[in-house]
Amino acid sequence: MQLQLVTLSGSKFDEDVYEVIIPTIDGEIGVFPGHEPLVTLAKGGVIQVRHKRTDPLDKLEYFAISGGVVEINGDHVKVLVDEADHGQDIIEAETQAALDRAIKQRDEATDQVELEKAHQLVDRHMVRLKVADLHRRHHRS
Amino acid sequence: MASTRQLKGRIRSVKSTKQITKAMQMVAASKMRRAQDATKATSDYTRTANELLTYLSSQGATKQHPLFEKRVVKGRLLIVIAADKGLAGAYNANILKEYIRALREDDAEGIRNETIAVGRKASQFVTRLKDTELCGTYTDIPDDPEGAEFYAILTTACAMFEEGKIDAADIIYTKFVSSMTQVAVTERILPAGFVKTEVTEFVRDAVYEPSVEVVLEGVVRRLVGSKIFQALLDARASEHSMRMLAMKNATDNASELAEDLTLEMNKARQAAITQELAEISGGAEAMKG
Repeated sequence: MQLQLVTLSGSKFDEDVYEVIIPTIDGEIGVFPGHEPLVTLAKGGVIQVRHKRTDPLDKLEYFAISGGVVEINGDHVKVLVDEADHGQDIIEAETQAALDRAIKQRDEATDQVELEKAHQLVDRHMVRLKVADLHRRHHRS
Repeated sequence: MASTRQLKGRIRSVKSTKQITKAMQMVAASKMRRAQDATKATSDYTRTANELLTYLSSQGATKQHPLFEKRVVKGRLLIVIAADKGLAGAYNANILKEYIRALREDDAEGIRNETIAVGRKASQFVTRLKDTELCGTYTDIPDDPEGAEFYAILTTACAMFEEGKIDAADIIYTKFVSSMTQVAVTERILPAGFVKTEVTEFVRDAVYEPSVEVVLEGVVRRLVGSKIFQALLDARASEHSMRMLAMKNATDNASELAEDLTLEMNKARQAAITQELAEISGGAEAMKG
């Protein structure tokens, strides 16, 4: 099954995989080869990728996404994502700092628009942090 | 004729200017290549979004959607994209000219006008105008514009359109045709439109979860977003290639000037030598006598 993560700045991931778990607005779905044709929306969260059937948990790949459109077409899964960060590309310390800044922004927000923006930032950095954490725990060498 | 010392000074300053413009040309050239590649990267994304929209609209779903609603235009939002810095030839001037043209158009038809300015040169210009309302400025957009600024522009534009504050939104940017040709253009982004694309069997047969309307909502926003994104990328690539060309011309001019000045200096030196010789031989003749 082919999985493609497409962002506005180009393809982020395009490989053969066995299983992918996608956070949709109706909850997480696991997609295996031969899934029924489906179009749905993804929400911010973690995409988990298992390359081979026999791969143990520590071989999974993680991507932090902030929402997108999911197209599942039998053996071809395409996700139009707003942003996709691979677990190994996320620097934890930086993200933690960004999260702290976002939380501060949220607490100091004076109007609805600012609050909304800060909320989104907080959510995004939380997801990124989670992905970095997952990656670190499962790829310890 | 200027003295050789003065000329020497001028040559030195022209040469150091040339070094600077040469360096700026190199920087712009390398940035241009990267920006140029980036302008092509969105095609996969937009094609998929267009295909989904083509299908959804054939199902009649777009008729209900607020972002597709066509109204008589009484208010218009202009998103102007210019550079943060100058020294890019006619880049900023061309964009602002196109922007003024759009403003005159609105004035003539009595359309209320609002502006979002991207880039310092645009915001400086717009703040001085009286016949438009500035509702946002964004400067120092990073080279990879996939960030907070981009979402802020998208959300503002969509919200204003849905609230009925504006009935249309246009984006004014410099389209990157090739590294030699860039044109300032005005493109409509709201009400939302899409490019009719061939619909594959899969898109027709697929299940839409949780519903066609919800999926449509997600896709429309992303397609409108992709247009803004593409405009930002095009503007950047155009800016860098125009800056490169401007700096190349400046470097060439400096070389020419340095050459002319060197020639003049040599002449002046020669004249001075000739004169001295004449004086010496004149003096020698006088001593003889």
